[in-house]
Amino acid sequence: MNTLQLEHISYLYSAGTPYEMRALDDVSLTIRGGTVTGLIGHTGSGKSTLVQLLNGLNRPTAGRVLIDGEDIWEKPKEIARLRYRVGLVMQYPEYQLFEETVRADIAYGPKNMGLSTEEIEARVLEAAEFAGISRDMLDQSPFDLSGGQKRRAAIAGIMAMRPEVLVLDEPAAGLDPQGREEILGGIRAYREKSGSTVIIVSHSMEDMARYCDELIVMANAKLLMQGSCEEIFSHPEELAAVGLDVPQITRVAELLRQRGLPLPESIYTVEQAAAALRQLMGGVGR
Amino acid sequence: MTSITLGQYFPGNSLLHRLDPRFKIVLAVLYITASFLCKSIWSFAALALSAVVLILISRIPPSFVLRGLRPILFIMLFTVVLNVFLTRGETLLIDFWIIHIYLEGVLTALSMVLRITVIIIGTGMFLTYTTTPIALTDGIERLFSPLKVFHLPVHEFAMMMTIALRFIPILIEETEKIMAAQKARGADFSTGSLMQRAKALIPILVPLFVSAFRRADELAVAMECRCYRGGEGRTRMTVLHATAADWVMLAAMILFGAVLLLINRFAPGFAL
Amino acid sequence: MEPFIQVEQLNYAYDEDGGQRRRVLRDLSFSVERGEYVAILGHNGSGKSTLAKLLNLILTPDSGKIIIAGREITDPNLTEDELYEVRRRMGMVFQNPDNQLVATIVEEDVAFGPENLGVPSEEIRRRVDEALALVGMTKYAHHEPHRLSGGQKQRVAIAGIIAMLPDCIIFDESTAMLDPMGRRDVLRIMDNLNRERGITVLTITHYMNEAARADRVLVLNDGELYMQGTPAEIFSHPDRLAAIGLDVPQCTDLVHQLRDAGIAVEGDCLTPAQCADAICAACAASGITFAPPRT
Repeated sequence: MNTLQLEHISYLYSAGTPYEMRALDDVSLTIRGGTVTGLIGHTGSGKSTLVQLLNGLNRPTAGRVLIDGEDIWEKPKEIARLRYRVGLVMQYPEYQLFEETVRADIAYGPKNMGLSTEEIEARVLEAAEFAGISRDMLDQSPFDLSGGQKRRAAIAGIMAMRPEVLVLDEPAAGLDPQGREEILGGIRAYREKSGSTVIIVSHSMEDMARYCDELIVMANAKLLMQGSCEEIFSHPEELAAVGLDVPQITRVAELLRQRGLPLPESIYTVEQAAAALRQLMGGVGR
Repeated sequence: MTSITLGQYFPGNSLLHRLDPRFKIVLAVLYITASFLCKSIWSFAALALSAVVLILISRIPPSFVLRGLRPILFIMLFTVVLNVFLTRGETLLIDFWIIHIYLEGVLTALSMVLRITVIIIGTGMFLTYTTTPIALTDGIERLFSPLKVFHLPVHEFAMMMTIALRFIPILIEETEKIMAAQKARGADFSTGSLMQRAKALIPILVPLFVSAFRRADELAVAMECRCYRGGEGRTRMTVLHATAADWVMLAAMILFGAVLLLINRFAPGFAL
Repeated sequence: MEPFIQVEQLNYAYDEDGGQRRRVLRDLSFSVERGEYVAILGHNGSGKSTLAKLLNLILTPDSGKIIIAGREITDPNLTEDELYEVRRRMGMVFQNPDNQLVATIVEEDVAFGPENLGVPSEEIRRRVDEALALVGMTKYAHHEPHRLSGGQKQRVAIAGIIAMLPDCIIFDESTAMLDPMGRRDVLRIMDNLNRERGITVLTITHYMNEAARADRVLVLNDGELYMQGTPAEIFSHPDRLAAIGLDVPQCTDLVHQLRDAGIAVEGDCLTPAQCADAICAACAASGITFAPPRT
């Protein structure tokens, strides 16, 4: 269900011109249905190109994109339909709001799908709830909302299409801690309710560690690693070499292990670290 | 990642590339003027030869230059057809049904095409092919700065050009992003009636305008923070110095004009 | 010695649609010493960016005083030359690198500020070369900004400010749009400017780890000064921060969680190294010893 597969994907920009650039080079990977997968990589590593391949905005120069075993480019004319199945929230999605009211903006996607008025209304309300958009906000102009609210309205616009796969490029970038929490919490709620597959691109290793089941690491147009947070974050040197990082807490655990504390290697959230240390030091406190 | 070459600048380090942009603007104007001085077939030949010489000096591949003529091909063709079929003269070449073609018509057509070609190549050689847009803007600002006396906003114009050059690639990229984002929401820009297609542009145009205004606003604040207060009291990092080469080229150009006039006078050939 | 920046009872409100005034800053007072590194925290809309724009007179306050290096810049008799002098002293780097670069060539952009100040050509050349070297962008001097990465563009923007020889640089969420590498570069430059060149740094940020590097932290909430103190002091109140939508660095969070569980961990713990030291010290204090790992 909702499993995505990339088979030997390559993608060239401006092919055949002096500006030709290989954005993806023979990338093969599988994203299991129903998981939350994090995609990390430095700027220009190919991750933004990759997410645009998943919903058919980019067509691979070579290789196939499969959803549940089906090649998405088998019938190129139906690629628009695929975009309803694989919803993509691009970077800074608040910059695509255009309607007079938030309600109308969220309804834009469902309307393009040709749904009935009642169905559209139902989906708008549902998506607004996931994204934390209150009823009275729905009738405001999207341009009167605060930065974080605009972002959530834009995300609701994709959720209203009820995609089976929800892809988000840097959904929390530039927001304060509470704003990040609201957005990521909403995405989690959507996934739990719909059972869809979620793919999140982010530069924040801390957020990735908290919200993702699995991580994909891209570097220089290639797939560098794929695995659980535990597996990926136990390679701090490899990550640093491609301009990435591990969560701060993982570095603390690493330092403590170096000094002889028998901590497991799988620490990437504060809660895990606290639990492990309590076990070690438990009896000694005040 | 988008790659846009603005204009047709061809990176290089030839004599023409190195000339002072102020001189290049003057040279281009003189060259266009010279092309209008041509009155005989020999002066046209000299003009054509000069264009070839310019291309050789610039060290830009001729194929690249010729490709630059493609956009005006239609205009040239139109000029030819108009002149060949409509010009009346004395020497009738073809007389068939309603078609009358005179030698004078053919010659006028040829001279027009040659003139257009040379003007395009000439301005290209001095300006677009060998001068970056920024250097060109700079040249315009400095060449016309004396006009500030007449309250002409020379600096403001140059600053506008610079900012436009800086933001065109950004806005093109932004348009692509917004289009992709709306396509992801099922927007369809390629089917439907003209009316439907025009309506489909709203989801692109509104965000694009909003973003352009936001950028303009932020840029204005950033410029103020960097003490921008118009052209008054502003100095420049690079100072343009006219070199011997600039003066030599200018003299050569004036000489060239004189030669054309002499040819007209003493070797009229087919006077046009 | 008097403080470098002194803000007294600052109020600012702007007009909203419908004629209402929205108060952004309320009776805000604080001061910053010359050469200090100060982080300003607060949730989106807490008035941080407005404050930054008041400090170099892009905006003028409704009431209150701002005194910079002994001169009251909110004085209505401030001359135009003095105004530009304030802007030169108080450089500002914004969030979106694209919207603050003016020229189409990197070095031309860095020259923009000094050119506006009427600095002689040779002097501009010297300053531009030096500023580009300082941010490590010398080899990109002739590039188009458009083709640089976000972090590189931001370094160019910083060079453009350095070339004006400011006393203070205000970074308004300058790392928010960058990837980890770009962020690291920019933070290193900020540290450098402060430590090596004695430039006063004010940084507005949403990243608690960045605030932890500062000498002092100001926390704004709804336009009021909510807390101020050293990072250690500020982050020792996670509940008060959480109440206004902020959090603490993971290291600090861990230590608080341990303390809550009754484990006595002493110290500030803002960085992984401090945190590891404190935990080891706590172990030693309670007699727990561990053999160093076998390699």
